[in-house]
Amino acid sequence: MDSSVEDCSSGTLRFMELAIQQAKLALHSLEVPVGCVIVEDGMVIATGRNRTTETRNATRHAEMEAIDILIEAWQRDGLSTSEVADKFSKCKLYVTCEPCIMCASALSIIGIKEVYYGCANDKFGGCGSILSLHLGSGEAPTSGNGLGRGFKCTAGIMASEAVGLFRSFYEQGNPNDFSLLDQETMKKCITS
Amino acid sequence: MHVSGTTEGFLSCLTSPLIRSIWSKERNSKSQAYSMSKIIYIPDKLPTPPDQQPTVNVFAAVVEPKIINNLVRRLNQIAPLENLRHVKRVQKKHLEDGKTQIALILCVASENNCDLDVLSPCVQELVTSYKLSAFITKVCKEAATTKEEWEEQCKLWPTSYHPPTYNIDGITGFNEVDTQSIFGFMRLAIELAQSSSKSFQELGIYLLQVVNAAVIVDPSVTQVIASACDHHISFENASTSNVNGETSFEKSPKSLCSHFGSNGSIIHGTFPSSSSLEKLKQSCADVSCLYPLRWVDQPLPHSSNSCCWHPLRHAAIAAIESSAARDRRLFPTLETTGDKSVEMEHMGPLTKLAKRQKIDLDNANSKEKKVGTDGEGTYSKLGRPYLCTDYDIYLVWEPCIMCAMALVHQRVRRVFYAFPNPSHGALGSAHRLQGEKSLNHHYAVFRVLLHEDVL
Repeated sequence: MDSSVEDCSSGTLRFMELAIQQAKLALHSLEVPVGCVIVEDGMVIATGRNRTTETRNATRHAEMEAIDILIEAWQRDGLSTSEVADKFSKCKLYVTCEPCIMCASALSIIGIKEVYYGCANDKFGGCGSILSLHLGSGEAPTSGNGLGRGFKCTAGIMASEAVGLFRSFYEQGNPNDFSLLDQETMKKCITS
Repeated sequence: MHVSGTTEGFLSCLTSPLIRSIWSKERNSKSQAYSMSKIIYIPDKLPTPPDQQPTVNVFAAVVEPKIINNLVRRLNQIAPLENLRHVKRVQKKHLEDGKTQIALILCVASENNCDLDVLSPCVQELVTSYKLSAFITKVCKEAATTKEEWEEQCKLWPTSYHPPTYNIDGITGFNEVDTQSIFGFMRLAIELAQSSSKSFQELGIYLLQVVNAAVIVDPSVTQVIASACDHHISFENASTSNVNGETSFEKSPKSLCSHFGSNGSIIHGTFPSSSSLEKLKQSCADVSCLYPLRWVDQPLPHSSNSCCWHPLRHAAIAAIESSAARDRRLFPTLETTGDKSVEMEHMGPLTKLAKRQKIDLDNANSKEKKVGTDGEGTYSKLGRPYLCTDYDIYLVWEPCIMCAMALVHQRVRRVFYAFPNPSHGALGSAHRLQGEKSLNHHYAVFRVLLHEDVL
């Protein structure tokens, strides 16, 4: 089913809201608040949030977490590498912050179809801010310019919400302050 | 010894008993090979061709030697070379007739207007009173970052040159002990890459298949922290990565010694031919960082439960995971003990403070630490690493952009690789991530050129 018409409006926002929820989970675990969801055929098939502090592994970004869930699941189901690649080529990622250079490259390697992100990542964004890995090589994957497959990228979806989470992470005097979540949850309850 | 060359003379100044004993065992067969091996620093920016460096115009004048001191003193007051601190005020030129001609910079000339009229009144006054004939000349705009650039700069006008230091050991050269240790760890990484390929052969799946290998090292105690091979097409029983984070080399420094002293037999066991490096390079079609997109085409074994391939689990990523697992195991989190709510409340500020203190400590003296990491499992809180700060990583192939960025995130201090990665290498070949100013961490990058016979 083609959901591209929906993408620009409610669908995109709905998925980004779920990504924001993931980011809030990270915030409550004292992690840098970034969250994401991976969507296939209009269905969320994986979620992820930053776990760098918990794992002592600074590469455990939300995107890597979500990708690993899928690879593990598909492998369990006995899918071949080409079947997995085929699956990823139909997936869209919604992430609260621009994928970093590492994640953007990972997304290119797995061959994701499309990425929607919230705020830009001025320090190490790999989808336009520092490098533009989403543009790909525009040629054969082995063209030798260090660029792989590209993917469509849309920036600025619910960016202010994403930035707000960062702000509360860096400014939080008390990490147990859950008022932010409560407000948002309340707002959602009212609007929906 | 300097970075880019070895001499036989250094043998006498070896201080480490470990290295010395190894060396004496191997000196006859290997000294030549080691002396042909070298470590090359890969700088942060692509060096501009030395003769194409940006320049600026300055007013200069030839002066009599006896008035130089007065003039320089006066000029430093009225026309300091603010943004050209690397440029020397005075140029000494040896003329063909054996005489020395001395010229000095009066002041910077403006971009567009090179008329003498634009000289400031003070400078103009000097020119008039000393009867100088000012002329326009070019000097290099930026300070030289390499010796080659500096030599070229001085052809225009003399400049000063301060090699970069950045507080990272090795950029300005390695001593003998460090050099041998670096060669040893790189050999270990290459052995890993090859022993993995051997496992594949035993499985009868691939012939001469080689993967990338990564070894994370704490150089202050020459201890292997973690090691791993590419997992993107790997199999459980062929895996040389240790998910428990503990490697056999870590338990006893002596086993490292045996690696140094193994005389390459492991390697030659895998590749009987003496040209093992060539073989290694020729059979690298499965090195994930070289061909990151090739995972799709990997055939899989028939029994699916033996398989644990992962398109993103390149050697560096797997090694980082392994070192993180070691960290978690050796230093369990605060949350797991005591009153959880209290710990939680103070976690944020405390960890931030701890990090800051650690960084300050590191800046103060990088040698003055490592309390309680004696390899036997007695670790104090002070010894707890923050990610891979102060650690080195050895990779057989230059990492791709994903791995290179992962190493930035994990705060690795130095990256050593043996072979460049022409199409996807992120540390000098296709990208130069170490020169990306916006990043919050920067490591130093070196290429280790091991002579074939060292292996």
